[in-house]
Amino acid sequence: MTLHPAVSQSMLAARPSRLGLFLGVSIAGHGLLLVFGLLYSYVTSGPRVDPNPPVIKATLVRQGKPRDQKLLPRKEELPPPPKEVKAPPAPPTQAPRPPEKLAVPVPGVKPEPKPAPQKGDTSAEDRRKRLFGAFDKTSKKAPDEELEGAEDGDPSGDSATAEGERYYALLSTQVRRNYNVADTIPEAERMYLKAQVKMRLGRAGEVLEASLSNASGNDQFDAAVVAAVKKASPFSPPPDHLRDPLQKHGVVLEFRP
Amino acid sequence: MKALLVSLFLLPLAALAQAPVIQISGANFRPLPLAVPAPVTVDDGGKKASAEFDETLMFDLRASGIFQVLDRAGFTADPKEGVTAGSINFSRWADVGAESLVKVQLGAEGGTLRGELRLFNVGTSREDFKVSHATPTAETRQLAHFLADALYRHLTRESSPFLSRITFVRKSGQNRDVWVADWDGANARAVTSGGINLLPALGPNGTVAFTSYRRGRPDLFIQPAGGEAKPLENSGQMATGISFSPDGKRIAYALAEGESTQLYVANADGSSPKRITETPYGINSSPAWSPDGKRLAFVSNRGGSPQIYVMNADGSSARRLTFQGNYNQTPDWSPRGDLIAFTARDERNAFDLFTVNADTGKITRLTQDQGNNEEPVFSPNGRLILFTSTRDGAPRLYVMTADGNNQLPLPMEKVSGLTPDWAQ
Repeated sequence: MTLHPAVSQSMLAARPSRLGLFLGVSIAGHGLLLVFGLLYSYVTSGPRVDPNPPVIKATLVRQGKPRDQKLLPRKEELPPPPKEVKAPPAPPTQAPRPPEKLAVPVPGVKPEPKPAPQKGDTSAEDRRKRLFGAFDKTSKKAPDEELEGAEDGDPSGDSATAEGERYYALLSTQVRRNYNVADTIPEAERMYLKAQVKMRLGRAGEVLEASLSNASGNDQFDAAVVAAVKKASPFSPPPDHLRDPLQKHGVVLEFRP
Repeated sequence: MKALLVSLFLLPLAALAQAPVIQISGANFRPLPLAVPAPVTVDDGGKKASAEFDETLMFDLRASGIFQVLDRAGFTADPKEGVTAGSINFSRWADVGAESLVKVQLGAEGGTLRGELRLFNVGTSREDFKVSHATPTAETRQLAHFLADALYRHLTRESSPFLSRITFVRKSGQNRDVWVADWDGANARAVTSGGINLLPALGPNGTVAFTSYRRGRPDLFIQPAGGEAKPLENSGQMATGISFSPDGKRIAYALAEGESTQLYVANADGSSPKRITETPYGINSSPAWSPDGKRLAFVSNRGGSPQIYVMNADGSSARRLTFQGNYNQTPDWSPRGDLIAFTARDERNAFDLFTVNADTGKITRLTQDQGNNEEPVFSPNGRLILFTSTRDGAPRLYVMTADGNNQLPLPMEKVSGLTPDWAQ
């Protein structure tokens, strides 16, 4: 029996469907791909290599007569003491003017004119505000210093990833400047030390929490790495897209000597 | 299938929730900022011993090179603060830059002085370490050394230099006498009395060996602790520069023979001497053992000028180590094995101290522009170097870290000290 052509073209007529088969094949295919991906990453991962860069010591030679190689070395004059470490400048691109009024200042946002400090006006909140106000003033010099160290950066550098990493590099540099460890730690022990500090940052770059999440087993080293984070704070305000993650989940700093 | 779908959905979320890890290395190692307020005394006996104890402890900690002992003038804590964690206002100590705090309590009972030392971590407001010890009241300095040593061991897991001994030569008129003292120069006692006695070396069990002119020519003598000095057999024409091997079983020394000076190795009592250098008309002197006792550093002019050489203890495989400078002498091998300290005359005709890496030959200067600095000797743990310096006039003993930092005179009253040696 043959149906009327109009019936065979009708949307209402039931006809055998291959959707189930398609779905089954699709899920199986995806599953296979996932298994293959997992297997591939398992096979190719191998032992993790810690790419700790070797310490590079570079000195710029003065212009002048070279020292006779047969003479004994002389101590170099001590270089001038390093400038006081200031919070690294915040990139200007990361500070679009937020529409809402924030409790703490961010770069690009003019700090509210502060009343002259008065005696007795020393509540914790006031002190904090003043501190960040001062910090904000220093960050205004950003455009001049912005070019420093940009050689390895992406010229168009406005993607979220690149900006995030850049901020982490700033954090790392600032912490490293304060990364002082006592000489009392035996040399034999130094190569095995590893400690992790979990740190959460507020919107203005202030440290909300810094605690040892993974101890090294050496109290002195553990104390030194926590102290390094605390001394390095406050940091520059995180870029927009990192504010929430840094506030909620924070960042883990893994220290090795 | 459901589980797979759920996990596929949740995995990225879990990854998002995980905090990124930033690796930080390249720590700046520096001395530990340490606050050490004056000892707390619990009675008159403790009060009496307090000044001497304090002076001894403070020198130990300052000269150790691993502490930056903070100036007491800047302390803001209550001087009557207690010695337990509960009674200490740690924020006051943090304010002055201290990372650790040492508190000592002294008390005397009868003829016994008891000291208790506590170490606090200022950052964690916690007591990290406590040690107590008692000595006869007359041995106040020993008590301080003992407590300082316990602290040092706790922190570094290495033995400290505080309980070690040094020997040196002191001039008095025409005489040169050998003295033995605590590491800080205190408790000094003469080993010889009168005549010319030179180049002392410390051996095992308190033995002291030295060169003496008591028989009219320079001979080697060995004096056991509490015994009489005995000359070594076969001392030849002129014997100098004795050095004990690290295990104390062998000695090395130099003997002048005709126009040359050669090195010998013998048993510690001088028996079975064996010549280990053969350089006609050359001078080989100042042997210094490597920490494993298998090699010797020495001075030789076989290349034209006095230079530092190393060779095996049987005399084989000699090689020149220094090629800079034209007058390098008095080597001493670090107990850590890597460095050899020596004296060199630089182009300004000043004697200064240097180290040379025993493997790479890299030379590092330790002293500069501060009088003549000579005769370096490493501490038994290799962290410090004792040497003589004329920076304040007459040659006196100084101590510094093995990299040339923290140069301090030993607290001896303006008395000379020459050719030191140092042993545990």
